[in-house]
Amino acid sequence: MGIGHVLGVLGGALLAHAAYATIQYRAVLKITEEEFSSPPMDVMMQLLLGLALCMWAGLVVPAKFLSVLPHSEENRIVSLPANLDFMTFNHRGRALPSDPDLKLKT
Amino acid sequence: MAAAATGGGISADVPILHSENLTSNVKSIYYSRTFLSIISGVVAGIWGFTGLMGFVFYLLVMMVASLGLLVKAKFSIHTYFDSWNRILIEGVFGGLMSFVLFWTFAYDIVHIF
Repeated sequence: MGIGHVLGVLGGALLAHAAYATIQYRAVLKITEEEFSSPPMDVMMQLLLGLALCMWAGLVVPAKFLSVLPHSEENRIVSLPANLDFMTFNHRGRALPSDPDLKLKT
Repeated sequence: MAAAATGGGISADVPILHSENLTSNVKSIYYSRTFLSIISGVVAGIWGFTGLMGFVFYLLVMMVASLGLLVKAKFSIHTYFDSWNRILIEGVFGGLMSFVLFWTFAYDIVHIF
């Protein structure tokens, strides 16, 4: 549970409260026999705040973007094999003639 | 070193992309868009939007979401995606159905019952 989840739950609760307040406002309007045009100001502020919180949560909670460039720093594999103690460099390859440019010639 | 040089040379013509990371990014965008279309549907229903006004509201929310995704990608689209369409229109029309569903749902609960 990161900060994004908390903000999302908070935004959802705000939206639920705004819905409840609007239902009560409609009931009052029914008694005073007025027409509904838009919810009261504080409910609109709640809706906008809840929308902003949920938008923040919706952008933060899903996975972070990963680089698609094959040669970027993030895509380098830096872990070494686990059996380092068993690697040996003292083998017969040392006796063979070493020619670093051999691959480039072929 | 030689491999890196040839890789850079090829990517000048045909871009080579890390496809697993691209799929993960697009999936992340789909999560964001679906969640936001549901939330914006609930908000539009409580607010009492009817007719074309609701769709204008949806497009507005999706434009703000595109801006948010742009900020999330640190303004360098080509590091994370292959084209601009990925963050501008990916998932907008798919989310429209969820939006209409939750719009009518919230409107029914708040304003009709």
